[in-house]
Amino acid sequence: MTGSADRTADDSWLKRVRLPIRRLVCADSTGSARVGGRQIYILPTAYGLLYAVLLVLMLVGSINYANNLGFLLTFLLAGLGVVAMLHTWRNLVGVVLLSGQAADIFAGEPARFGIQLSNLRRWPRPGLQLAGGDDSDATDLAASEAQRLELSMPSRKRGRLRLPRITLSTRYPLGLFRAWSYVELPLHCLVYPAPAAASPTLVAPSYRQSRIGDRGVGADDFTGQRHYRPGDSPRHINWKALAREQGLLTKRFGGDRAERRWLDWSQLQGDQEQRLSQLCRAILDASGEEVEYGLKIPGTTIRPARGPAHRNRCLAQLALFGEVE
Amino acid sequence: MKRPAQLLLSGAWQYVLLLLLGLAVLPHLFNIERGITLFFLALLLYRALAVSRPGLIPARLPLFLLTLGGVANVLLHYPILFGREAGVALLVSMLALKLVEMRVRRDVYILVFIGYFVLITQFLYNEAGWLVLYVAALVILLTALLVDSQRVKSRFNPLPSLATSGLMLLQAIPVTIALFLFFPRFNSPLWYLGSERSQAVTGISGEISPGSISGLSRSSEVAFRVDFGAATPPAAQRYWRGPVFWDTDGSSWSAARESADERGPPPVLTASETAEPLSYHVTMEPSSERWIYALELPLLTPPGARLTADFQLLRNSAPERRLRYRMRSLTDYHTGALTSHERERGLRLPDNITPRMVELVQSWRRSSRSDAELVLNALDHFRRQEFYYTLYPPLLGENPADQFLFESRRGFCEHYATSFTLLMRIAGIPTRLVGGYQGGEINPLGDYLIVRQSDAHAWVEIWLPESGWQRVDPTAAVAPERIERPLDPASIADVIGAPIRFIELDAGLFSDLLRRLRWGADALNASWHRWVLGYSRERQHYLMRLLGLGFLHGPKLGYAMIVITGLTVAAVALILLRRNRERPDPVLRHYRAFCRRLARLGIERVPSEGPKAFADRVIAQRPDLTASVAAISGLYIGIRYGRLDNAKNRARFTLLVRRFRP
Repeated sequence: MTGSADRTADDSWLKRVRLPIRRLVCADSTGSARVGGRQIYILPTAYGLLYAVLLVLMLVGSINYANNLGFLLTFLLAGLGVVAMLHTWRNLVGVVLLSGQAADIFAGEPARFGIQLSNLRRWPRPGLQLAGGDDSDATDLAASEAQRLELSMPSRKRGRLRLPRITLSTRYPLGLFRAWSYVELPLHCLVYPAPAAASPTLVAPSYRQSRIGDRGVGADDFTGQRHYRPGDSPRHINWKALAREQGLLTKRFGGDRAERRWLDWSQLQGDQEQRLSQLCRAILDASGEEVEYGLKIPGTTIRPARGPAHRNRCLAQLALFGEVE
Repeated sequence: MKRPAQLLLSGAWQYVLLLLLGLAVLPHLFNIERGITLFFLALLLYRALAVSRPGLIPARLPLFLLTLGGVANVLLHYPILFGREAGVALLVSMLALKLVEMRVRRDVYILVFIGYFVLITQFLYNEAGWLVLYVAALVILLTALLVDSQRVKSRFNPLPSLATSGLMLLQAIPVTIALFLFFPRFNSPLWYLGSERSQAVTGISGEISPGSISGLSRSSEVAFRVDFGAATPPAAQRYWRGPVFWDTDGSSWSAARESADERGPPPVLTASETAEPLSYHVTMEPSSERWIYALELPLLTPPGARLTADFQLLRNSAPERRLRYRMRSLTDYHTGALTSHERERGLRLPDNITPRMVELVQSWRRSSRSDAELVLNALDHFRRQEFYYTLYPPLLGENPADQFLFESRRGFCEHYATSFTLLMRIAGIPTRLVGGYQGGEINPLGDYLIVRQSDAHAWVEIWLPESGWQRVDPTAAVAPERIERPLDPASIADVIGAPIRFIELDAGLFSDLLRRLRWGADALNASWHRWVLGYSRERQHYLMRLLGLGFLHGPKLGYAMIVITGLTVAAVALILLRRNRERPDPVLRHYRAFCRRLARLGIERVPSEGPKAFADRVIAQRPDLTASVAAISGLYIGIRYGRLDNAKNRARFTLLVRRFRP
């Protein structure tokens, strides 16, 4: 069965329907979700239907030739089909899903949602498949084992990308039946605006002079001195002071460029998304150049700073711009 | 995307598929035309070579041509594509083509399904016990292939899948039994399979040779039914007379071909004064032979049939449909004088009479004063000497009568009857061999008698001047049960199979044990015949009455099948799902016990409360428990969430909780 045929008509319409909550596998407060018996759907696969046709043919043949061994084999295989259905159901019931991590991404990149599947039973659960969006991932869980699966989702526009309703399914052991459950996990990632191709030309770049420098560890402006600490560069030791027996002092220098770059919405051109895109590019550029930058967008101002946390905070503001919190 | 169905079949997989499906077809290789067999074997071999050289797997066009070739091959051998053999040939050819084409894991489905189908067709040719075991083993293996193909990891590790397959088939057995016993059985086929019937119909044929009747004894097919109206005669009198055999070549006997004098009117019967003829109706199933059956001796001649001089009822043509006729018979009769022609034929001997056979007859002659006494002496010989009555006699060679009498001494009714005929002819007593049926099962429901192919029998008629032609059944001397028991096809199995010894030479402990084992095996065999191979509409009615469900028949039986199968499935499901209950980790179990004990003191843990917060609250309320609560909670947190999870700590935790009795 190919990938597209795999998600047959049997569940595509169900996917759109708003299911009552008891029919949905939902996470509890700790982010883990357990598949309950009432949340499992089960239907024969195409091969299951073929198997049924085979059984009917066998039965007709056995009746016609009044062959008791034929009857016996036919009924054994029929019983096997029924048992297979129970086993398929049992393979799914009690699987625990745990939301994992999802890194934030830029629009257009695929989001990767990590989901941990655990088997609490003391015998294995082979052939488990997770599917969501256009992606799927499958594994065999050994007894009392947990494994991390990953689903990748395409992102088209900025904002908050929630893990959509995903399907946990299995066809084990015979592939005659497919049991599946719809799972909703509180897993999401932020999709930042796609960075614009070229750096924006800010209409009036604001390079405002700092009065005190940035008290950083730059190399340009002398900002004062303090007692030596192990690890200080020997080049910054105040040798003159040492010579004057004032002790071991380290000279401190301010930032290379003691000004802040303001990335300001109002100084950009284009529509909202274009401006966000340009701001995104500007943030990336600024953090690449290790420049201190601040962000001004309507409704929010982030004071200038540096570092990955700051960068992510700014990008998050862009991602969620215009969203009602 | 990692989908099991799209994975390519590894080399190991391909070899296993080729091997198992080859084994599934194997018993068929002699059932179908050699051309089909060769086609299958050639493709199998080619595909085995292609496993290590994937380039050899044919592309679409060559495969299409190969398919055309396969179909043409079947048509060549079975031009009308109809019936059992043609179906099997087509199936086997299809399987060969699918094997050649297989590439990906989803091909396993189709191959296994065809494999199942091939296996069921094996039972159309053979119902032997070994075949049942063979098919069962292959069903387990094929199912294991399906199980293994559902795993995501493609590593070939057949053992867990084999275990799952075996377990699932075991779990399927209750449903199988419910369906088997309750599925309504029909007596007539769904449709008439024209040309095939003539091959499929079994029955007494125009030739008797060692093995020809014992072969029939395994068939529970109905030969005819008899409605006596009044009382049914006892089993010992129910000899249903069929063809009469005069001529032998020393190993097989052929039925009397018509000769000029037999066309003459049947001789006048001289019945004894008190004889009362029996009246009854016979409903005969289609047969491929022209004889119709009646109790000896028939007085009426049904339309379309005639009575020959040796009292065979011969139809002008073999009855292709069910035939019903009225009949009257005399069980006590005298056939009068013998014609010279009959005497000559009744004494004719084949040329393989051995000196020891003559010697044996002479010894009887010496010790008897009349022919009648000689006959008794001969029967006594069979009774006294170590003769076994068995359905599975050893194969006999060129001179079966001599070999049977002096060497093997194991045989079915035809062995006794044929050798007895020869011995009587050596003694100069005119003798002929008679084929037919003996006994029959009285249907407990309808008040009629069912005679099955398994009741086929052969006996002897000798001519004595004082009584005319008279029936002698040497088998009765060896195995009287065969005659006296009311026969249903299954209780035949009580008699057959195990040799029946009538002279106990020694009654040692070992031989006693051996005999008991044999009886055990025989009983098993009998139940197999009774409840599986011979399970019929009549037997189903009988079972239902036994279960107190006699009211179930027709559609009601169908509903009952659905209900009972449903209940069985529910029971199996319950057992399966009970096993599914997760047993929590012992540490968690003990912690819960700890919490329960505290709850009894009135300190109940809130679901949202973590172990640490709970411990703090307990200690605040019961400072006297501080030491044990802190130790248990600390260890619990360490094992569950920290790095303290090892066997020693778990044991300590268990101990701590056990000792915690506030």
